[in-house]
Amino acid sequence: MSKGLKLTDILVTVVIAIVFGVIYKLWSPLYAAVAPLGLHVDQLLYGMWFIAATVAFLIIRKPGVAFLAEVAAASGEFLMGSEWGLEVLIYGVLQGLGAELVFMLFLYKRFDLLVVSLAAVGSTIGSLIMDFYKGYIGDLALWNLSLFMGARVIGAILIAGVFAYVLVKALEKTGVTNLVRSANQSDYDALNQ
Amino acid sequence: MKETWMYKINPTVKLVGLILLFIQILTIHNINILLNLTIIVCLTFFLFNGFPLKIVALLLLPFILVFLSTSSSMILFGKGDTTWIKWGLIHITEESFFRGIHIGTRALVFAFLGLLFTLTTKPVLLFYSLMQQARLKPKYAYSFLAGYRLIPIMYEEFKVIHQALKVRGIQRKKGLSTIPSKLKAYCIPLLSQSIRRAHRIGVAMEAKKFSSNGKRTFYYQVGFSVNDLYFIALLIGFSFVSYTFGHFYPYFPIQDVRYQ
Amino acid sequence: MDPFMKVENLRLKFPKEKDLLFKDLNVSINKGEKVLLLGPSGCGKSTLLQVLAGIIPRSIEVPMKADQLVLPDSSGYVFQDPDSQFCMPYVDEEIAFVLENLQTPRDQMKQKISHYLGKVGLQLSDLHTNIQTLSGGQKQRLAIASILALEPEVLFLDEPTAMLDPEGTIEVWNTIEGLMDQQTLVIVEHKIEHVMRLVDRVIVFNQSGEIIADGDKDEIIKSYLPILRMNGIWYPGVWDEYMSEHPRVTLEEKISDQPLMSLRDFEVVRKKESVVKVPVVDVYSHEWIAIVGENGAGKSTLLQGIMQLLETKGEYHLSGKKVTKKRELFHELAYVFQNPEFQFVTNSVEDELAHSLKVFHTEEHLIAEKVEEMLTRFSLEDHREKHPYQLSMGQKRRLSVASSIMQNQRILLLDEPTFGQDSKNTFALLEFLEQERQIGTTILMITHDEQIVEQFATRRWIISKGELSRDETVGKMNQFGLLHV
Ligand SMILES: Nc1ncnc2c1ncn2[C@@H]1O[C@H](COP(=O)(O)OP(=O)(O)OP(=O)(O)O)[C@@H](O)[C@H]1O
Ligand SMILES: Nc1ncnc2c1ncn2[C@@H]1O[C@H](COP(=O)(O)OP(=O)(O)OP(=O)(O)O)[C@@H](O)[C@H]1O
Ligand SMILES: [Mg+2]
Ligand SMILES: [Mg+2]
Repeated sequence: MSKGLKLTDILVTVVIAIVFGVIYKLWSPLYAAVAPLGLHVDQLLYGMWFIAATVAFLIIRKPGVAFLAEVAAASGEFLMGSEWGLEVLIYGVLQGLGAELVFMLFLYKRFDLLVVSLAAVGSTIGSLIMDFYKGYIGDLALWNLSLFMGARVIGAILIAGVFAYVLVKALEKTGVTNLVRSANQSDYDALNQ
Repeated sequence: MKETWMYKINPTVKLVGLILLFIQILTIHNINILLNLTIIVCLTFFLFNGFPLKIVALLLLPFILVFLSTSSSMILFGKGDTTWIKWGLIHITEESFFRGIHIGTRALVFAFLGLLFTLTTKPVLLFYSLMQQARLKPKYAYSFLAGYRLIPIMYEEFKVIHQALKVRGIQRKKGLSTIPSKLKAYCIPLLSQSIRRAHRIGVAMEAKKFSSNGKRTFYYQVGFSVNDLYFIALLIGFSFVSYTFGHFYPYFPIQDVRYQ
Repeated sequence: MDPFMKVENLRLKFPKEKDLLFKDLNVSINKGEKVLLLGPSGCGKSTLLQVLAGIIPRSIEVPMKADQLVLPDSSGYVFQDPDSQFCMPYVDEEIAFVLENLQTPRDQMKQKISHYLGKVGLQLSDLHTNIQTLSGGQKQRLAIASILALEPEVLFLDEPTAMLDPEGTIEVWNTIEGLMDQQTLVIVEHKIEHVMRLVDRVIVFNQSGEIIADGDKDEIIKSYLPILRMNGIWYPGVWDEYMSEHPRVTLEEKISDQPLMSLRDFEVVRKKESVVKVPVVDVYSHEWIAIVGENGAGKSTLLQGIMQLLETKGEYHLSGKKVTKKRELFHELAYVFQNPEFQFVTNSVEDELAHSLKVFHTEEHLIAEKVEEMLTRFSLEDHREKHPYQLSMGQKRRLSVASSIMQNQRILLLDEPTFGQDSKNTFALLEFLEQERQIGTTILMITHDEQIVEQFATRRWIISKGELSRDETVGKMNQFGLLHV
């Protein structure tokens, strides 16, 4: 078959990403508002920024989709005038890569809760890399740093892992996922009856 | 709104320029330099964004939150030796304070640069430019364009879902406990509609002979102009001025905010 | 000689469906032929058209196979649904997209864009108009214009005029006729009055997707009339036949003096601008009001205002009580959107029908009974488990009508409920509505079909340029009719 994603795959991915881009944009004031509470309550909410990758991959199930979705969502958020400005693009790239690598490790063959949660952790690692450079989080007191990373991982697993999984299950009920996934071999076999 | 020269910069040049500046800022650990840069970027932003001050002010409001949220934990819990305040878990030191201010300021610069870009760039032209100057594959560019077209449609769709629920009689209960079911009543159809629509548009595009690899002409030709040169000069000027002044006229006796 | 377009022993089956849609179907079409596909709603016309255009399986994966498949190199396809075939936000950009694909030099684009828009009669003061602000009919014209820009070898048209006003319909068919000497044309259309003169060959399908007649159009009309009639397909003279068999019933019941709905200086507002104005009207029970007018006149907007989906100004009373923002109207008014897809809120045909009854806490067995009745009445019984979006256009339309009138509201607001239907289902729907009317329901129905107005409506509103410009009685009413209005 042709290499790379088909136009319809890309379009669907981008559109899913843009839906989440809008959500990302709405999410950031919420996040920023709880942040000054201290003790990293905000980090529990951080996982929302990883969800485009996992949801898009669960729906389309093809290589490259997770990365594309995360980058597209970030650029959508960016072009809507994010208060985080340019950095969302770079975060998007790293987070997308994190999730994509996890799905790749499982050869793009597994779509269960465990793998999705691992992908969420993958995105978390991507975002932490940036935070080390940009936010000097390595210079936080050790107990505080552990709290920070712990909260982010838990939030990521809950939102970008479990919630994404449930969301896609609900979407599957609407039959929309059949549009973008390949038909079963059994359906082809039925042609010969 | 009035179109300043910033609007006329080639979008790809603008984007690449800003990303390079972004990377450079990541290497600045001297708060003096960063503060200078922030002041210049801020000035540039207000001079050239071209929007009425009222609208801009509204957009800038969240910036305060961004500053607070990025700097606060570092100020309160960062490593440092020169203690200012110690109160329970909170430990504010001179080092952590300046480091906190540094990263807060850094987030502010990024925010200003980002907003300046979005305010002065039309998405359609950005993607046409990326296709023409950065060899972005049309299948990606048009997917993004079609995607952006769907944003207002999604908003309409949201209204339509709301109308449909009204017409078909979904009860209008109030209270926190109905939030999950409401979320579901809106989110799932919105997502599934958007996916269906995206798929159909993809089909229609292919039916209109869109091919991912074929050559194409462009309705909008995005070229270069002398403004691009001004822009590059401006960016170089930014760095030069802030480094020079940062070194020779520092505000604080700090060279590197990182913990040694 | 190689055939120009041919499928041999085509088998096709939608995923998860029990039966094949096509089983060993054979079609072959020569260059320059103009073919009309006729068949009852849901028989597979749109699907076949997509196979011939190469859309299935290239862009839409559906399990299929064929012994031989010869398809044209370039084809243009006008989709049944006007809303989702555009990929750019503005009118000019949409046509430019096609021109770009064809590598038209940039300096010729502007002129070509106006040229193609002119061909379909889409007059806009500014080419750079947002597509979202066009009416359904205007959108369909734009879709045709952008396909014309493709200059395709074969033109596939899937009910391109289903949403157009009579003038627009004639105009579009004239346009297509004007450009077609050598053009190969494959058309799906239920309403054949205008299209018959364009085509020279007709292929007729039955309900199960088999070809039951194929030949010269005059031949088909002459020899296959009974078959067409039996399969519920439109054919020339259907209406005359229908009218002679079903003489128009005159209204026997006395209309009460109390109006059900009354509007005074009523205006519907869109983005702070008043789009339709209605000075004074009163609506009574037993009335069937046909709302007619050209595309973009404001018909749908008016109904949406009456349903309170848009903001309105002026006085509006229902059953003597003032309508306010708080008042929930879905008990009293049923509403059918122009786009059937807007209507659907559940995941299966059955659930969709049961939905509004459940909202009213109707007892389970009553729901089941009523759902069953509607499934049969609207020929949907074989599709009960499908997702509403997987239905054919006609089926969607029927489902949207059926699901919204489940709770016996006293007033039905219907936005083009009969477009895209075969004759059997059209008459079934109209007769159902007529029954309802006779027991006192009021019907406000937007339609472009003059025959429906003549045969069924009791009153006609003409909307033109955002104003109710005429309000007149139609049909033979007895003295109790609308004479007191
Ligand atoms: N994605 C799908 N999944 C399952 N069934 C489908 C799907 N799409 C169409 N069908 C079914 O296939 C049949 C043929 O549909 P098609 O749209 O080709 O009908 P049609 O002849 O064009 O009807 P109409 O005149 O109402 O538009 C219908 O019964 C429809 O319910
Ligand atoms: N969502 C919308 N936003 C803004 N303007 C709209 C919208 N929908 C329709 N309009 C405009 O309102 C006017 C009336 O549109 P409306 O849909 O009521 O026409 P209509 O009489 O129903 O036409 P048709 O026969 O094509 O369905 C048109 O000029 C149209 O461009
Ligand atoms: Mg059809
Ligand atoms: Mg309308």
